[in-house]
Amino acid sequence: MDTPVIDFHSHAGSWGRYGVDADCDLYLKVMDAAGVDRTCINCIWFGDARRGNDLVMEYVKRAPDRFIGVAFATPHYPEEAVKELERAVHQLGMAYVKIYPDYFGRPNDDPAYFPIYEWVDEQEMAVMCHATYPFDPPGTTIQGRFTALSDRFPNVRWVMAHTAGTLDADAAETARVLPNVYMETCSSRTALGATEFNVERAGEDKVLYGSDMALMDARQQIAKVVTADIPRRAKEKILGLNAMRLLRLDGRP
Amino acid sequence: MAPGVDLDFRPEVPAFDANAALGRRHDRRVAVDDAAGLLAEMDRAGVERALVYAPHAAAFDSAEGNAGLLEAIGSELRLAPQFEGNPTFDDLDETAAQIEAADVRAVRMVPTLHHYPFRSWVVGEWLEWLSARGIPLWLPASYETNWHDGADLDPHAVHETVRQFPDLTVVLCEVHYVQASWAPPLLRSLSNLSIEVSRYVIADGIAQLLEIVGPERVLFGSRFPEQAIAPQLYHLHRLGLNETDLRAVCGGNLARLLRM
Repeated sequence: MDTPVIDFHSHAGSWGRYGVDADCDLYLKVMDAAGVDRTCINCIWFGDARRGNDLVMEYVKRAPDRFIGVAFATPHYPEEAVKELERAVHQLGMAYVKIYPDYFGRPNDDPAYFPIYEWVDEQEMAVMCHATYPFDPPGTTIQGRFTALSDRFPNVRWVMAHTAGTLDADAAETARVLPNVYMETCSSRTALGATEFNVERAGEDKVLYGSDMALMDARQQIAKVVTADIPRRAKEKILGLNAMRLLRLDGRP
Repeated sequence: MAPGVDLDFRPEVPAFDANAALGRRHDRRVAVDDAAGLLAEMDRAGVERALVYAPHAAAFDSAEGNAGLLEAIGSELRLAPQFEGNPTFDDLDETAAQIEAADVRAVRMVPTLHHYPFRSWVVGEWLEWLSARGIPLWLPASYETNWHDGADLDPHAVHETVRQFPDLTVVLCEVHYVQASWAPPLLRSLSNLSIEVSRYVIADGIAQLLEIVGPERVLFGSRFPEQAIAPQLYHLHRLGLNETDLRAVCGGNLARLLRM
C-alpha cells in the first residue's frame, strides 16, 4: 500500500482501570506494527484541559512526524475553553478539536458547547465527538442533531466517533446527506459488516479510520478496514486519504 | 508509506475459531444464522474450522439448543459443536449421555446469565465429570441478551473453583477490556486457565497475555456473528510471533484441547 495511513482517533495518558499506560514507546511500537504513519492524538482525561493538551504535546514532540496533536476543550470551565483552544491550535499547532460530552452530562448539541463551536467555525476546523449519549432526550435522532448543528455552524466539519464501527442507519444517512459530517471506525465490538455497511450508505469519502488507542489496539482496529469486503481504493481513502483531505494535509485549500 | 498494512491479507497458518455462534437469537436478527453463511464467512476470512455453540442453548434451554446445534451443523466436519450446560437446571447424566453420543469435545457454561455462583457446591459435580473426560469448559466473562446486561463473571469464584480441578482446562472467553484488570492476574494464578481473545482489543493486550501465560494458553476466536471473523486474525498476524507460536494461537491450541 503506497498511500498514507492516518489514525484519526487516539488518546494520550494513563487509565489504570483499563490497564492503559501513558507509554509513548508502546504507542509507536503498535503504530509500526499496524502500519500507521501518523496518529491524531488527544487527551480527554484531565479536568484541566490545558494539562491534557500539554501531555499530548509530549507525544508530538517525541515524534513530530508520527503524532498529530488534537485539542481538548471542556464546557465545565467555559471561562477557559476558548482561550485554551486558542493556545492549543495557534501556539501548539493542534489540528482539530475533541470534545467529550459524556463527562459533561449534556449532549453535544447543548448550548453550553456553542462558544466552542463558534470559535471552531471561525477556524473552519473539525470537531470529533460521539453521536449519541445515554442522556439524550427521547426522540433524538443523529440526523436531526447534526443537521441543526451544521446549519448553525456551517464551517465546522463534524466527525462522529465510533459510528462507522456500528450498523447505525441513522448515522450513515446523516453522513451521506450532510457534506460536513464524517464517520469514524473504532469500536470494541467490531460489528460484522460494519465497514461495508457504512461505505455503502455514507460513501467511501465519508469514513475515517480510527483506533481509540491506547484503549484498543491499532492492529485490531485497522483490520476491520483492511479485511472488509470493499474496493481497494475505498480502503486507501478510509485509512488515510480522507483524513488528509479533512485536515488539509493534502495541500488543497 | 506504511509497509505493515496488508490489503491482501490471508492467514499464514491454519485457523480454528474458538468462539462462534450458530443459529438464531431470540432478541435480534443476526446477520448470519446458518451453517452455509458461517462457512462462507470462514472461507472469506481463511478460517478452516470453528467451534460453535447455540445462542438458544445459552439463553433458554441447553438441551433444545444443543439439539438444534447438531441439526444446524449436519454432516459439516469444519464445524465442531460445543454444548451448553446449566448445572442448576440440566441433569448431568442426561447431558453427559448427549455429549458422548454426539462426540462433543467442549462445553460452555454461562453462570452470569443463569444466575448461579460459579462455586464447587453448584458446579463441582459437573466439573468433576468434565475433568475426568478431558472435556474443556468455556466460561464467558460476560454475556448479554436483551434481558441481561452482561454483568461480569465473578473472578474470585472462578479462582477458588477452578483451582480445585487442576486437571480440567477452562477457557475464559469474551473477555472485554473492562475485564482487563482481573483477567491477566487470574490467568497467572491458574495454570489450567486459557483465554479466548475475540473481545480482547486493548492496546498490546494480547502481547502482554502471551508474556504472562505463553502461547499455549491463548486462543484465537471471532465472536461471530456479532463480530467479523478476520480482524482479530489479522491482529494476531501483526504481533510478531514466530510461526510455531502463531500456529498455536490461531488454531493449534484449540485443536489440542479438543483432541482433534
